[in-house]
Amino acid sequence: MRVRLLRAAILAVFLLAWEGVARAANPLLYVPPSAVLPALRRLLALDSYPDLLPSVLLTLREIAVAYALAIAAGLGCGFALGLNRVIGRAYAPIVGALYAVPAVVWYPSLMLFFGLDAASKIAFGFLLGFFPITLAVLAGIRQVNPHMLAVARAFGARPLTVFVKVMIPAMMFTLVGGLRTGLALSVIGVIVGEILGSKAGMGALINHAYGLFRTADYVALVVVTLVLIVGSDAVAGLVERRAERWSD
Amino acid sequence: MSDLIVVEHVGKRYQTSSGPIEALHDVSLAVGAGEFCTVIGPSGCGKSTLLGMLGGLVTADGGRVLVDGRPVSAPDPRRVATVFQEAGLFPWRTALENVEFGLELQGVPRERRRAVATELLGPLGLRDFAAKYPRELSGGMRQRVAIGRALAIDTQIILMDEPFGALDEQTRLLMGEWLLEIWRRTRKTVVFVTHSLHEALALSTRVVVMTARPGRIKRVLELPMPYPRAMESAEMVGLRATLWGEIRDESLRAMGER
Repeated sequence: MRVRLLRAAILAVFLLAWEGVARAANPLLYVPPSAVLPALRRLLALDSYPDLLPSVLLTLREIAVAYALAIAAGLGCGFALGLNRVIGRAYAPIVGALYAVPAVVWYPSLMLFFGLDAASKIAFGFLLGFFPITLAVLAGIRQVNPHMLAVARAFGARPLTVFVKVMIPAMMFTLVGGLRTGLALSVIGVIVGEILGSKAGMGALINHAYGLFRTADYVALVVVTLVLIVGSDAVAGLVERRAERWSD
Repeated sequence: MSDLIVVEHVGKRYQTSSGPIEALHDVSLAVGAGEFCTVIGPSGCGKSTLLGMLGGLVTADGGRVLVDGRPVSAPDPRRVATVFQEAGLFPWRTALENVEFGLELQGVPRERRRAVATELLGPLGLRDFAAKYPRELSGGMRQRVAIGRALAIDTQIILMDEPFGALDEQTRLLMGEWLLEIWRRTRKTVVFVTHSLHEALALSTRVVVMTARPGRIKRVLELPMPYPRAMESAEMVGLRATLWGEIRDESLRAMGER
């Protein structure tokens, strides 16, 4: 209760300060919250941007595809690198080094390869989501207590059973954490991709509003995007908390 | 020949970064059905290696290991169950689910294995802890769950590798008494590795003393006395002195090596 009150308080302080500063300075550039609210109403009534819904759906679809690919490739590569010593020693350092590169440097080449449509956004969202998932699998495998694996073998578990019944649950917490980070980064990848250059999707609308100095509409679009992101992360957080009780 | 476990001339070398280490050297041993055979010796004498061979987790270099007349090549949960020093419980499973683990691997239907495990929790002293997770249990309880997991698959042989080694002394004494009860009731064959003279003398029908590395069998003591044993009797005190005499030299050698 007290936590919620404090949270509401900081939000109120922030909005008031924003309102004050924006009015004192240039209300066109700094759009006070009082100007955002009507813009938000117009946006949700499909007045200012009639194609809001298809844009949201397109962005969500891109995120879903990018994230699904990131999960598939991240789990595949992670387990291949983590379970096979030779492959791991050969390639794991490369994965770590690539992760250290600011991913946005790849985006221009992705646009060249995949064009300005959904494919390049999906590719970028995939690229960002892939690394944290792969690295979480690697970290999770290292965390599995080898003694537990020996116990399972002593009780007659075959390799696949050891994997399913011991390894996966033992690394579940780390794995879910990585999946959550991967989701956040896939979302960022898709939206940043759309903002950097696209014809459709939330990022394109944001770009459009921003480019035409429709700053109140621009902020309203950002708010809608934020709700999408915070919502997806909240779901991921719930899943993570469920996994928490699996760990020691 | 009624020996359930037969070990003949086995040895074991491990390759380490500082060259090969000989853990076991020409060990032969036979354990009859229903025996409580304790293996005792200084640290690093290969006791655990020997137990690992019986359980099929370690392969011997030369010689042979037979259980029930068959050579051991892999873990055989239909004949042999193992309890380790570290309980090795699965933290995402409740006490009951941990006890069920071996049965689950053997494809025993859910209700059946639940019934078996639930029945075991009584004598394990864990009746009220079925739904608890390992982190909610004390060290002694955790080790009892691990023993329950081994008892659940109802093998003729139970291997125990210092099962009480990580417990405090009082818990340890109580666990020893409790284990004795279980063993006398089930009449399983137990091979028990320990560092504790008290455990060896209070529990075993036979004590095998091993030498410092490379481990060989130094002496075998037969203990035909009835249970529970009066550990303060002249006979037991004398045996303790004998046993300590045998082990002391080896422990000194093991310490000097380091």
